[in-house]
Amino acid sequence: MTDSLAAEGLRCVLGGRDVLDEVRLQVRPGEVLALIGPNGAGKTTLLRALARLLRPLGGAVSLEGQDIWRLRPRPVARRLALAPQGADLWPLTVEQFVGLGRAPHRGWLMPLGPDDHAAVRAAMGRTGLESMRERQVTELSGGEQRRAILARALAQEPRVLLLDEPTAALDLKYQAAILAMARRLAHEDGLAVVVTLHDLNQAAGVADRLALLAHGRVQAVGAPDEVLTAELISATYEVPVAVCRHPLDGTPLITPLRGE
Amino acid sequence: MISRLRLRPLVWAPALLIGLAVAATLSLGVGAVWLSPEQVARALLEPHSPDARATAVTIVWDLRLARVLLAAVVGAGLAGSGAAFQGMFRTPLADPFVIGASGGAALGATLAIIGRIGGVGVPVAAFIGAMGAVMLVYGITMASGASSATSLLLAGASLSTVLSAIVSLLMLMSDRDLHEIFSWLLGGLSGRSWPALTMSGPPLLAGLIALWLLSRPLDVLTGGEETARSLGLPLNAARAAIVAAASLTTAAAVAAGGLIGFIGLAAPHIARLFCGSSHARLIPASALVGALLLVLADSAARTVLAPVELPVGVLTALLGGPFFLWMLSSGGSR
Repeated sequence: MTDSLAAEGLRCVLGGRDVLDEVRLQVRPGEVLALIGPNGAGKTTLLRALARLLRPLGGAVSLEGQDIWRLRPRPVARRLALAPQGADLWPLTVEQFVGLGRAPHRGWLMPLGPDDHAAVRAAMGRTGLESMRERQVTELSGGEQRRAILARALAQEPRVLLLDEPTAALDLKYQAAILAMARRLAHEDGLAVVVTLHDLNQAAGVADRLALLAHGRVQAVGAPDEVLTAELISATYEVPVAVCRHPLDGTPLITPLRGE
Repeated sequence: MISRLRLRPLVWAPALLIGLAVAATLSLGVGAVWLSPEQVARALLEPHSPDARATAVTIVWDLRLARVLLAAVVGAGLAGSGAAFQGMFRTPLADPFVIGASGGAALGATLAIIGRIGGVGVPVAAFIGAMGAVMLVYGITMASGASSATSLLLAGASLSTVLSAIVSLLMLMSDRDLHEIFSWLLGGLSGRSWPALTMSGPPLLAGLIALWLLSRPLDVLTGGEETARSLGLPLNAARAAIVAAASLTTAAAVAAGGLIGFIGLAAPHIARLFCGSSHARLIPASALVGALLLVLADSAARTVLAPVELPVGVLTALLGGPFFLWMLSSGGSR
């Protein structure tokens, strides 16, 4: 099976500093890959490079087997969507804002058609925004804005979905809902989902595989059990941790150890 | 407090068109000779019927109609390109002149006046100056590789400063043309008639329609450059197309009316109050609001100090400024 998205020998430099170095990573259809790592490890940079927003100095990114930089931006945007962490918002209504996700499909001059409106409605439905469709995105709460950004990415109907810290600024209910949705999109609809997360326990719960980044390099890739070990996490985050088990599904749970 | 009054296009579009028709009818009646709306309507609709007074027909058709239409078209053009630049640069402060069109137009017109190129020379020179300045700003920005919207704005501001310094210098050195240059700079439609309309109208309307067609790229650009790229927008091509269409519109408007300020800044803000910020609606709504405002302002310019005519640019600034401040302070601008 072709990887949905693969990075090979990826090297990115920002402001004269190596932010990513020799990064090698694959994500397959139907899989949730979580990127974890301390602040400044290069998670967001990696996501931008994977989304064709940052041209790497070395190495390559391939989307479904094709070099992403040999593809035009619009065909990429039909297959791959990024929900960024924050966005500059302009006072469009939620429906208009989510509708921007249809631009890669509809072209720049054609009005939206019935299937576009259906996709927009479905995306608003999945993110719980139906009741807010006429409200302006600038007047929504932070969490509602995050959901609108996510809905815009869903409206692109991508096969590869990149989520940058999708649970930040969300309350507990929507944290759980967004993570459950990411799993459903992968396991039921066959999308490849790449998600950066600060919360290691959320990462353990949502991901099929984890990639641990530090200092621009991939330190470990594998199932949650293989990556979330006390030794690896303590060394990478420079804080002593203990690993126990989730009482229901047995995934690893990380607890920082107090003291010293 | 201005509350946002979101209306459907089926409500605001006819309302603005009716408002524009009423304003135009009134505007056709005011001036040195006053005509009642009924006389105007009769002269317009039945110019050959025996009931229509010959003088009224002459005044309406030969003297005022072209000017009123020109006011509407110029107002629409300034407002439409203002809306586009505000969206593209993601700032409510942008106006049609934000990347150098006014400085270029002023220099072109000044040179034409000093060089005694009469007739259509001044508007043509203003048009060439406006397009030339914008192309220079765009070319410099692209060549430097700093292709962000911010660098385009900064280059526009720098070039405008240089050009207006040159215009000031030229004015200082040519006393005898001072009055004519100055009154051109203030902006006005005095004495404009059918030739101005047939010259400026087509390119202006073409640019305006192009901007309307570009409304989805404009919507996408309001999300910022990174979002626009991640939605697959070819950033440089989209910007070039928007700059070209908006500048064509602005240059044609400036060629016809000189430097009329404020309409291009304020009309989009007024339009946003009832139609929202999506450009497919905002561009036509701004154009209609701009047309209405300039038709009204031009009527006022002809009458408040009659028989002396005020430059309409002075009037739009005098009346528009305080109105805009009031609108901002009541929190209705976004």
